[in-house]
Amino acid sequence: MEDKNESVPPATQFNAELAEQVAGDARKLIVGRLSEAEFYQKHHQAYLKEFGVDNRPLRTSESIDSTSAESVLAKQVSRRTLLKLGGVTLASIIGARLLGGKALAAGAPIGNNYAGLLLKGNEEQPQKVGKQMGMVVDLEACDGCLSCVYACQNHNFNSAGVFWIYVLAYRDENTDKPNFLTRLCQHCANPPCVKVCPVRARHKREKDGLVLTNYDRCIGCRYCQVTCPYGVNYFEWGVPEKTNYYHPKLTDERGVWVIGNPPKGVMGKCTFCPDRQDDGRGNVVCALVCPHNVLHFGDMNDPNSEPHQYLRQKMKEKGGNLSTFRLLESQGTKPSIIYIGQQPTRSAQQIDGPVSYADWGLVEKRLDVLEGPQPWFMKAFGGGQ
Amino acid sequence: MRERSRGPSREDSILRPLANPGTKYYVMVAIAGAVLVWFLLAWAWQLRHGLIVTGLADWGTSGGVPWGIYIGSFIWWVGISHGGILISAGVRLFKLKVFYPVARLAELLTIGALTIAGLFIIIDLGRPDRVVTSVLKSYTLTFQTSPLVWDLTVITLYFVLTATYMLLTLRHDIYALRRRLPSRFAPLYQLLAQGYQPEEDAKVSRMAWWLAFAVIILAPFLLHGGVIPWLFQLIASMPGWFSPIQAPTFLSIALTSAFGSVIIVAYIFRRVYDWEELLPDRVFSRMGSVLALVGLFFLWLQLQAIMTGAFAAPVGLLTATEAKMEDPVYWVAIGLVAAAVLYLGAQTIWHVLFSVKRVVIVAIIPVLATLFEKTLFIVEGLMHPLFNIYRTVPGSYSPTWVELSSIAGAVAMLVLFFAVVSKLIPIIEVEAEHEEKEE
Repeated sequence: MEDKNESVPPATQFNAELAEQVAGDARKLIVGRLSEAEFYQKHHQAYLKEFGVDNRPLRTSESIDSTSAESVLAKQVSRRTLLKLGGVTLASIIGARLLGGKALAAGAPIGNNYAGLLLKGNEEQPQKVGKQMGMVVDLEACDGCLSCVYACQNHNFNSAGVFWIYVLAYRDENTDKPNFLTRLCQHCANPPCVKVCPVRARHKREKDGLVLTNYDRCIGCRYCQVTCPYGVNYFEWGVPEKTNYYHPKLTDERGVWVIGNPPKGVMGKCTFCPDRQDDGRGNVVCALVCPHNVLHFGDMNDPNSEPHQYLRQKMKEKGGNLSTFRLLESQGTKPSIIYIGQQPTRSAQQIDGPVSYADWGLVEKRLDVLEGPQPWFMKAFGGGQ
Repeated sequence: MRERSRGPSREDSILRPLANPGTKYYVMVAIAGAVLVWFLLAWAWQLRHGLIVTGLADWGTSGGVPWGIYIGSFIWWVGISHGGILISAGVRLFKLKVFYPVARLAELLTIGALTIAGLFIIIDLGRPDRVVTSVLKSYTLTFQTSPLVWDLTVITLYFVLTATYMLLTLRHDIYALRRRLPSRFAPLYQLLAQGYQPEEDAKVSRMAWWLAFAVIILAPFLLHGGVIPWLFQLIASMPGWFSPIQAPTFLSIALTSAFGSVIIVAYIFRRVYDWEELLPDRVFSRMGSVLALVGLFFLWLQLQAIMTGAFAAPVGLLTATEAKMEDPVYWVAIGLVAAAVLYLGAQTIWHVLFSVKRVVIVAIIPVLATLFEKTLFIVEGLMHPLFNIYRTVPGSYSPTWVELSSIAGAVAMLVLFFAVVSKLIPIIEVEAEHEEKEE
């Protein structure tokens, strides 16, 4: 992986050297050799010089201290939560046996895998229960630099063409300049992928509403991918190209393998970095690296969370005239991402963005690189395609 | 009975396949075996390297299609398995004596085709090694929400019902023929006819009636008019699938391919064992008529789907329908079924047009056409999702040698299944009780 990154310098209109340094430091940040505060501070001047702005959440020394104190606290809490979760799981197993479908029909959360999954008419069911991590994505601020895409792919050791976050550049009616749509998993409050999964590998984490895949459970039927209206799932068709050599099987606080790239034959998608939610950091890598403050991650059920604050501030700036939307809301999935900007219409046409995926050394269309090994007799026939 | 008065007795004819096989038989088994081994090697290749050796890919930014010919084959084989049991159940419930001679052949086809269908689900999985543990672990939860789990449940139930039904009716025949069955398989016959008493016949007949009753409700309404189309018609993100018409369409396709394949299998046995007496012409003529009827039903439902999708449909459905109508494969499939319906309908009315060979040749057409139609339905559906902003959509899909090998391997499995079973048990029921009662 190291080699790949260094050998392909991104030929963008931005400072390639800076991008490379930031990417290198992002990896250090990921493995804990660099604190977030240090990471932000390190390239602050260079960011200002390059972009004229640095909207990344820079913190003063006091807030650094409070963050680290918070994270210790969060760890203690998480251990207690773990015990609680164990109890809930046990109760849910017994409960499920005893009650059968009744508990579900009533909408009561009966297990870790189930919370937030609405079976029918979701209107009458309480929405604001517990946390639901999500995002406010300010598409008006996005310039399509693809930093988030690059960071996410490397952070999660994903194969070529796998984009847990993907930035679509498109042209639409009434506008000449390119628009952007930052598409990640919507971590729906009513996720169809969870509903159809035949083994409950795809589940909604009760603690914070993340939609995750249990990599030890998934049988690779791809029904979640077929059902998801957003096309956010990426299957591991072959042996993964890269492995996370620090944590080959990264588990969350429940001990479930849900983090990083999936193994062969298993489905993967954007996870909202559960390890970062568990240890108290409470952020996601794509939002961290975004130089234009596009991605605002937080609890969507908490009116005082950072994304809501940003939304209010932006609303004030625009004099109450702010265009927001959720993607394919009519599908009833209750997506947890609120976009600021214009919703793409049916006639939106995808175009080449200012920065191409190739500029970052990324493969955009995965089908082009999805070619399995050929046995000798097929080679003799000139390929099996 | 006419045939008893001259030539070999009915029993002699029935026992003909159980004699020692000739060279041709071994050649056929060797060829089918070789094809099966080829397929198993291809599957091993896929297990080793992953599904990357198929033509499948993710939809969306990847420009692929996540389900293809494996899922198409799954539906096709489940469809074929229907004909068998519906014919057989029809014989029991509605005393359709004309189909009585093919009843057990049809039951065997059900069991063979259903096993192959299940295999295709396993082949399609990324981690087939986990399927049993993973499904059982969460069954109480997934049973309530996942259409795929409904499918597994109903197919298992269907398999158990069919196998029970067949074993029950087989016991009598084994007992009746016990002195004439090949002695080298004696332990098998002892097992099958364990504890058989002639007095049980009446009770078994009643049990078989109730099983047939269950199957005739289960197969059309819950299986191919239920959980199988629900896999697709409940998926709102794919406008080409999201329509209540899928259930009747699936059922009509299942019946079309099912009756077609029963005709083909019955004809092969008639040719090989000179069973012109046991499987008379009128069986083929009538099955051809039924095939024409279900084929017509299929065409009519296609018309409904196209009218609704093309007139003033929402954009997503309109796009999917237009893509379907522009695809020549679709029209070839429809044209073939239409041609078959025309001939089979005509031969019902004008008997001069009838010949067994013609019916069989025409029956092959819809059987193949339905495989194309089913694969096309899946691939086209996934190529035109509601969220159509990706430049790379529609995706593209072309099956690789591994996927094509699976089609050949499945047919070889069915050939081997019949080759083995026809040497073990009588594949036509001995006692012509239904015929006698009617006459």
